[in-house]
Amino acid sequence: MSAPLIPNLFEVCKVLTVAIVWIVQQIIYAFAILIPPLTGLGDWLGSDLVVTLLTWLIAVTVVVIWATLVNLLTMMWVERKLYSRLQDRYGIMISIWSLPFWPFNRVKRPTHRGTGYLQNVADGVKLLQKENITPRNADSAMFHISPVLIASSTLMIFAALPWSSGFYVANLPLGILFIFAAFSLAPLGILIAGWSANNKYTLVGGLRAAAMLMAYEIPMILAVIALVFFTGSLDPIEIVRQQDRVLFALGPIGIPAWYAFSPQFLGFLIFSVAMMAEMERIPFDIPEAEAELVEGWTTEYSGMRFGLVFGFKWLRMIAGAALIAILYLGGWSGPVFATLDVGGIPVPILPEEVWFLLKIYLISAVFVWISWSVPRVRIDQILNIGWKRLIPYSLLAILIAAGFRVIG
Amino acid sequence: MAVDWQLVAFLVLSALEVIGSILVVINKRLVRAAFWLAMTLVTIGAIYLLFLSEFVFLIQIIVYAGAVPVLFVFGIMLTRRKIMDEPAREGTP
Repeated sequence: MSAPLIPNLFEVCKVLTVAIVWIVQQIIYAFAILIPPLTGLGDWLGSDLVVTLLTWLIAVTVVVIWATLVNLLTMMWVERKLYSRLQDRYGIMISIWSLPFWPFNRVKRPTHRGTGYLQNVADGVKLLQKENITPRNADSAMFHISPVLIASSTLMIFAALPWSSGFYVANLPLGILFIFAAFSLAPLGILIAGWSANNKYTLVGGLRAAAMLMAYEIPMILAVIALVFFTGSLDPIEIVRQQDRVLFALGPIGIPAWYAFSPQFLGFLIFSVAMMAEMERIPFDIPEAEAELVEGWTTEYSGMRFGLVFGFKWLRMIAGAALIAILYLGGWSGPVFATLDVGGIPVPILPEEVWFLLKIYLISAVFVWISWSVPRVRIDQILNIGWKRLIPYSLLAILIAAGFRVIG
Repeated sequence: MAVDWQLVAFLVLSALEVIGSILVVINKRLVRAAFWLAMTLVTIGAIYLLFLSEFVFLIQIIVYAGAVPVLFVFGIMLTRRKIMDEPAREGTP
């Protein structure tokens, strides 16, 4: 058992909001000496409704910034470094000293011997400067609406995805189902993007996405149904709480009661494979097979619109890895080796968030490892894998789960 | 003045739904009609949410998010781009 670093995101944000509102109120009251009606504005800012609304806004902003600015950038960097290492090269190495203005452009600083963490930021800035091109015969409205659909549905996942037992925006009793609903909206956006760009490569990419949509989404949902036989709940926090115990002790090491070690092992494999297809990782990335279709369904996008549809793939990868960790690998539960005593409250040195991030990045590293080691499957092969292998095996997983449930 | 916000939400959602379903019928481009159908189904789901049945709402989203792309594919592959269009025109998909 370990404790979360942030016991309750809403309460933490409420402290922040109250502080900000207090400062703004003091400024308004100072002006109200000159303009008396402003007193009412200050009082209204301090009212309960406004503070609660602002707190929700700040909580959503905190989670979005945490997911995109911290984890998305780190995940892209991890992937680029890791696949470069797998290909026996260094990968991105541009350091911050290569910036051409004052505090950075000092001589005798190695410009290309860094870790390259900010290279993705530089790529984003480059994409922001580029022109947004709409093809002449494209269906302009739908061409522009699909990046919005993809980006917003991807961010919607993080409304229900908890990062620990305290670090979440909303704790829904049907959280897992909500995450799947948000996940399943993006293929619609891919298909719209592919059709509306009026390009044969994007159209083929979009139609491939639609063709493989059924092949991986049905086994994914069926694997989760098999899991629900055991959990009896769709609440991610409840599912993790059920796994936070020791299955049996193997000498000094306690094997945790993760669902991957239970009869759900088959469901775990199916879910991971289907999730790789959902994330468009390489063995299943046929909608944008860059060797066959130029860049798949993203061919006609340019500028930051391309950045959105391309970069949010990593956000979906984070969400998918987090989902695998929550459902099968114990989520944020982890051992506590040492606690720090701060004012009588034992604070774990490795809080839940650290364990969860560790699991997310390990799962993602395995996905990167797999996807840069195996060749891409063909469209008929993934349909065969989906319909003829994954769906029967997921039905078998449901049968096994039901059988174990009957036995006890 | 007390505003019944649930009634307001219901009226807005049902207005969107009626507009969307009319657009499904009268739109000449089949793919756009499928897109409006998706909007209609999502608003129906939101009305389920208004009736406090979250499960039906989420299942509605999951099921129709899978169903509408299939409709798209049929719309693209089995019909012309515009309904009642001249058949052979070069250069347009």
